[in-house]
Amino acid sequence: MQTTTEARPIAPGRWRAGLVVLAALAAVGLALRLVGEAGGPQLRTFVLVFSSLLIEAFPFILLGALVSGAIEVYVPAAAFARLGRLPRGVQMPVAGLGGFAFPVCECGSVPVARRLAMKGMAPAAAVTFMLAAPILNPVVLVSTAVAYRGRDVLWPMVLGRAGLGLVAALVVGWIVSRQARDELLRARPEDDHEHEEHRSAEGGRRRRWPAFFEHVTTDFILLGKYLIIGAAVAAALQTFVPQAVIGAVAEAPILNILAMMALAGILSLCSESDAFVAASFVQFGMGAQLAFLVFGPMVDAKLGFLYVGTFSRGFLRTVVVSVAAVTLAGALWLEVFFG
Amino acid sequence: MTGVVETRDRPRVGAMRVAQAALLSAWAGLFWFLFFSGQSWLYVGARTAWVVPTGGVVLSFAALGRWLSVRTTRREPVTSARSWALGLIALPVVVVMAFPPSSLGSYAADRRSAALGFSASGDASEGEITLVDLGAALWSEETAAALAGRAGNEVSFIGFVTRRDGMPADEFLLTRFIVSCCVADALSVQVRVVNAPAGRFEQDQWVEVDGAFYPLGDEMVVDAARVRAVERPERPYLNV
Repeated sequence: MQTTTEARPIAPGRWRAGLVVLAALAAVGLALRLVGEAGGPQLRTFVLVFSSLLIEAFPFILLGALVSGAIEVYVPAAAFARLGRLPRGVQMPVAGLGGFAFPVCECGSVPVARRLAMKGMAPAAAVTFMLAAPILNPVVLVSTAVAYRGRDVLWPMVLGRAGLGLVAALVVGWIVSRQARDELLRARPEDDHEHEEHRSAEGGRRRRWPAFFEHVTTDFILLGKYLIIGAAVAAALQTFVPQAVIGAVAEAPILNILAMMALAGILSLCSESDAFVAASFVQFGMGAQLAFLVFGPMVDAKLGFLYVGTFSRGFLRTVVVSVAAVTLAGALWLEVFFG
Repeated sequence: MTGVVETRDRPRVGAMRVAQAALLSAWAGLFWFLFFSGQSWLYVGARTAWVVPTGGVVLSFAALGRWLSVRTTRREPVTSARSWALGLIALPVVVVMAFPPSSLGSYAADRRSAALGFSASGDASEGEITLVDLGAALWSEETAAALAGRAGNEVSFIGFVTRRDGMPADEFLLTRFIVSCCVADALSVQVRVVNAPAGRFEQDQWVEVDGAFYPLGDEMVVDAARVRAVERPERPYLNV
């Protein structure tokens, strides 16, 4: 990295981009205010679903960014270096089970996983943690139990979700374990920026908290951007695709499981609430409902964009194919026993 | 990775940092607005209501930290790409503040799943009968049997009017959504209302229906004694 010091006047043109963006935002706001309810039920439904997804997810993204920033700035790199020297066969299951101790939704686990990999944890273990945490965390398992209370399949659903989720996370971790950190993570120019700030902080010339807030802001902006695009796609699909279209395949073996996985991908629900939706699809068997609950927290429209912004090309495909295969096989197997 | 970080000798206020701090403040402001105005109930359910003040606190904390770290020795140019990225993240704040407060209506009810399989509020054979209980009669034989034993009992429900093509003029579906976390997971509960004043109520209009309920085939219907227009409740969604 080079560091240059030179005097350069601030060009007035640099402000133009900011002013154009502000004007665009004002125009959108004015248009929405004027159109309002006259925009029809489609616009209203889209706005409500889009906004609610973000209102629920943004605090978790920021909490994830705060944890990620704290790991980067306050946890000594040596701690992760020691962890990184453990065999992958030990790191991955431990990372997967770490989800029990980190009760946040999938949006929060993405920045934390990236930071763990940056700090020296095996990237495969970080990915295993990222995928397992949204399913294995206690809040999610309790809400699953509440959604299925009073039904015969309560325990198969709760334990099946936890077990199958862990297996799917381990499989993806195993598949990406051949990739080095730089191959797996998407390069970000901000990393240079952050490391420069962090090095200054570690060198004792500056306090650490500015570096902490640099990390928090950078993660928030990067992931917030992808989350918004993902929420817009999910809201559009929720607005225009009737959920009844999948009802036609409720009785068709295998197809019913694939349909419920596709629905989970479209809806992009928080893993703490998706069990209530899954439980309402009574026309689908236990295996298909379980597939919805395992696939959704690992693969959906909003997560897809978060993965694209965080990981290198090809990661999204690996996750989609692997998680779909494990979920399908596991759901079929459990349906034979409990269906 | 190789990059070039241009620096100055003395720290100065960075324009991008000010923009980032303003953006975080705007998001924090949105969460506090939703919390204090009660409009958070248009977006989240009771189980996740805590997310809104929590979001307000953590976003305020991040905004404060950014405001306190706006001075830097590095040159961080205001580029077009960075400006648009910040603009994109500000967009939801503009959308929520500009769009008139509303809740899901009949259009969404036609496209979303019904709350089938939902545990009703308790034993339907005694106690207050809820809209969820009557809706549950469609899929739960146990609930349907318990309610059949109480046919003719008076009920009073608030919901919005959903009319479908081919419905008689004096009938409509009284609809309400159940939200567990946020509107994205909303499931509909509907009960058919008969003998309502014909043509008086519009699609999506919020009403209060008083009347007796009776089994009719697989479903329970409410024989309306009185239907009156009401304001949308502060909490338009039912919770679990």
